[in-house]
Amino acid sequence: MNSKVTYVFSCLFVILAHAGMLLNVFFNGNYSNASSVIILSAAVLFLDAAYFTAMLFFKQTTYAIDFLMILLLNMSIIFQSCFGGVRLSVKHYITCIVALAACRLGYILCRNHKWLQQQKKYFYIGIGILMVVIVTLTGTRKMWISLGPITIQPSEFIKPLFILACATSIAEQQKKHKILFFHVVYENFALFGLMTMIFLLQWWCRDLGSLPTFVAIYACGFLLRICYPKAKFSKKKLIGAGVILLIVAIIGIKFAPGYVQDRLHVDIWSDPSGDGYQQSRALIGIANGGWFGKGPGYGELHNVFAHENDIVFATISEEWGLLYSLMMVFVILIIIMIPLINPPRSYFHGTVATGICAAFTVQMGLNIFGSCNMIPFTGVTIPFISSGGSSLMVSGFMTGMLIACQSPVFKQPKPSKKIIKTSTQVNYPPQYGRGSY
Amino acid sequence: MNALNLTLCAVAAASLDICALVLILTAYHERSDGKKRWDRMTSFMELADYSTSYPLGCDEILIGRHASADIRLPDLSVSRYHALLTVSNGIWTITDIGSKSGVFVNGNLVASTRLQENDVIKLGNRRLIFRRKGVC
Amino acid sequence: MKSIKRCQGIMSLVLILFILGMAALVVKIQREASFYMMNSSEHQLGKVYDRNGDILFDGSGETEFEDNYLIDVGNLIGDDKGQMTNTLVARNIERLNNYSFTAGLVENGGNASVHTTIDHEANRKVYDSFGGQDGCAVAYNYKTGEILICTSLPSFDVTKGYDNILEFRSGTLMSKAMYRTVPGSTQKVSTVIAALEIMGADKLFSKTFSCSGSYKNLGGNNIDCHNAYGHGTQNIQQAVENSCNPFFAQLIEDSDFPLKKIKNVFKEMGYTVNDNGCDYINIDGIKCEKASTTLNDPYEFKTQWGCIGQGDTLISPVQLMMWQSAIANESGKMTMPYLISYTTDVYGKENYTCKTKFSDNIFSSGTAETTKQILLTNGENHYSALISGYKVGVKSGTAQVNEGNTENSLLVGFVDDENLPIAFCILIEDKNNTYVKTENIAQVILDSISESYAKS
Repeated sequence: MNSKVTYVFSCLFVILAHAGMLLNVFFNGNYSNASSVIILSAAVLFLDAAYFTAMLFFKQTTYAIDFLMILLLNMSIIFQSCFGGVRLSVKHYITCIVALAACRLGYILCRNHKWLQQQKKYFYIGIGILMVVIVTLTGTRKMWISLGPITIQPSEFIKPLFILACATSIAEQQKKHKILFFHVVYENFALFGLMTMIFLLQWWCRDLGSLPTFVAIYACGFLLRICYPKAKFSKKKLIGAGVILLIVAIIGIKFAPGYVQDRLHVDIWSDPSGDGYQQSRALIGIANGGWFGKGPGYGELHNVFAHENDIVFATISEEWGLLYSLMMVFVILIIIMIPLINPPRSYFHGTVATGICAAFTVQMGLNIFGSCNMIPFTGVTIPFISSGGSSLMVSGFMTGMLIACQSPVFKQPKPSKKIIKTSTQVNYPPQYGRGSY
Repeated sequence: MNALNLTLCAVAAASLDICALVLILTAYHERSDGKKRWDRMTSFMELADYSTSYPLGCDEILIGRHASADIRLPDLSVSRYHALLTVSNGIWTITDIGSKSGVFVNGNLVASTRLQENDVIKLGNRRLIFRRKGVC
Repeated sequence: MKSIKRCQGIMSLVLILFILGMAALVVKIQREASFYMMNSSEHQLGKVYDRNGDILFDGSGETEFEDNYLIDVGNLIGDDKGQMTNTLVARNIERLNNYSFTAGLVENGGNASVHTTIDHEANRKVYDSFGGQDGCAVAYNYKTGEILICTSLPSFDVTKGYDNILEFRSGTLMSKAMYRTVPGSTQKVSTVIAALEIMGADKLFSKTFSCSGSYKNLGGNNIDCHNAYGHGTQNIQQAVENSCNPFFAQLIEDSDFPLKKIKNVFKEMGYTVNDNGCDYINIDGIKCEKASTTLNDPYEFKTQWGCIGQGDTLISPVQLMMWQSAIANESGKMTMPYLISYTTDVYGKENYTCKTKFSDNIFSSGTAETTKQILLTNGENHYSALISGYKVGVKSGTAQVNEGNTENSLLVGFVDDENLPIAFCILIEDKNNTYVKTENIAQVILDSISESYAKS
């Protein structure tokens, strides 16, 4: 009863937030015909209502992420519809609906982690197929497949599969095999091989932008995997290894050949129309917008290439103000923070949530800091906010996985496979190797 | 930018802020719901020895002497990673994960067994009782 | 449980790193926003004022100026058209822009402004006193560092734009005081300073050399004196007053005056020695070239001329003036000159106020005192009638340029007066073509500044 009241309130406040934005568009926006604002409002509010109704058909333990996600997606629809003049961005609207569907799919698929773990080989196969697709179909070292009006970025789809492949449970980590003197989990090797393959593929494709995302997912997965290796990795050793890696990286950057350093640090102001064009325009845009923005549709950045995905943070900052875009980032952070408030109930889901957290945060970081010239500029997207079908769909799917982590089921997928002994009889040989100690 | 525009910006920002706050509160509210649901799913069970009770907060509970074990039994007779408790379909199962001294449930050495209420589990020299929550 | 806590720990770490990054980003944008706007095509520039509130530049274009009203400061203050880059406005667009991150770009009623130390009225008088002859004059208060006068000819009316840029004479679009020129005998001041630093006053004053109008140096070249009949035997004081070249040639050949040490003293003073590069002194963003010279061998013709003031030696008038401040202050520390007294932001709030800065010791205070005395004696003996009413220490110079075809006249000096602490440098190009003398201009500079000081 109590929770129903909470949900009604949540719905109301989500709609209120959108209404506030639409009001701002109506009074401050740049449009010639009021009907475009009305169409936009109707579309946004309809999507809100439709999703709230659809949510009733899913029995979940928690709904907070759902609310946050519809809040963000509709925000992004309003943002994207306002760039350079208010009109409903139909393409983005449709991709957002697809993303919501992908979210539901992710939720349904990932609820039962025991079932998921049995499907693990399919993740590897899936990633393998996607990699083959990238190598063969995209050709000419591009990351895009064009199918008529739609372009698909297959490397995006590797992300959720890779997160699932990296996830692990404690039981799995205890299935150790002894090779000579070392206890190993075979899967760690498989994963390392997979990471290397992805690394090489991305390197080959010159898609260095999404590489950090994969590395971050792998690093989190790896850290969580080596926590139970018969106590071989203490905290001190881990911190020591981290420090050594950092030092090596700093030395590497310092003594890197000139052309690498040039890529790492571009002086965008010396040649604002050349390499640093997008970043310098983005920074000028943010400065132009100030705290409160120039008003929806009044920005100048919509003339810049990739204003709706690569430098979207700056575009939003210019039109809505830095304050608002910071709050938008904060809402994305809340989605990631929900597993901290409401912890997952299994290690598998915990590792999945960590992987998603790493993927989202690194992507946002690369995009925002890259467009503001704090780190090298790469063409990655902010989850939910940037336009781009593949990216939005995958973000939606990964959010679905987060929701699944919040509302898990614990069922043996095939109860007949293992006979559960209730007897008090003894002398079963231990199921797992009685290895070392 | 005049006062009206600024006010509208403030309204939009404030409504987003309030919305974010409300959703965080919702998440906190759901946390207690989640706990209740978790208890139902795990049949309200917990492990206890003579002095302490150990809550069973997730679906895989590692018992052992090592600091990273969920239930830590600092006793040399207990292996570093001794046993694993898992739950599915509301039924708890204990599994020996390569311990030196074995797992005894109600006095019987087992490799893997389903736990019943008030079962006594002996790991090395330590005894634990598997009981319903709130029973002293 | 611990396993879940571990996941949460890593997530928190990632989030904290990201939030720290965002905080750094916000701070960075806050601090650098006006710099970004400087690179934007949209500007809303404010006004530049002189020390008495006279407008020298108006970015909004509202102020109507009389024809040639700004001609005396045109190539120093400049404008935002992009033709001149080394001017006050071009180098300080960020300060002049009516922008703040909170207020945005204010189109009307922004109060961003730059208040300079220039005295426009006095500057105009000095400009007029050149009588159209090319050259430059710069003067500043050696106690505080305020540049009061800085004018350069030829100049042009900035408000009229650059339509007939092809008709401009060379040197129109620059403030010559900031650029290097041949110093002539004013370089002897530096050589005296070096001699005092290396030998000390007693030893230097004990040295006498004779001049018979021309001196054949140890390298076999003739160093000519401007007085063909020679000056006879002189000490350093007389040599400075006579500006005697043979004396200085012999001084440089003297074994008590090793070239290696001269180089060190010159480097301390800010010369770029034996190097083709060019360093700059920063005067509120405006780049002022540092002195340079070539010194190879004490018996070499070129090196000796380098210490006398010809050869490869090049010094900007501003730097000559700064050395005078180190002498006049009797401290051996230069007073760093500045042009901006204070600036205001878009709300009219003062956001920058000048500070008097001094350089490190470039020579000892004893050297400064002795040099000051030498220059004051020179001023008393030769200039008391020409620059009347002031106790000045000066050194004149004649520099041959255009391969000896034209001669520039220079005068550096200072006023030894607590209430009128002015150091100056005056350059008149092609002096044989005009009746205007450097001392006339010095008189105008000092009269107009003291008049202006008396008013305030």
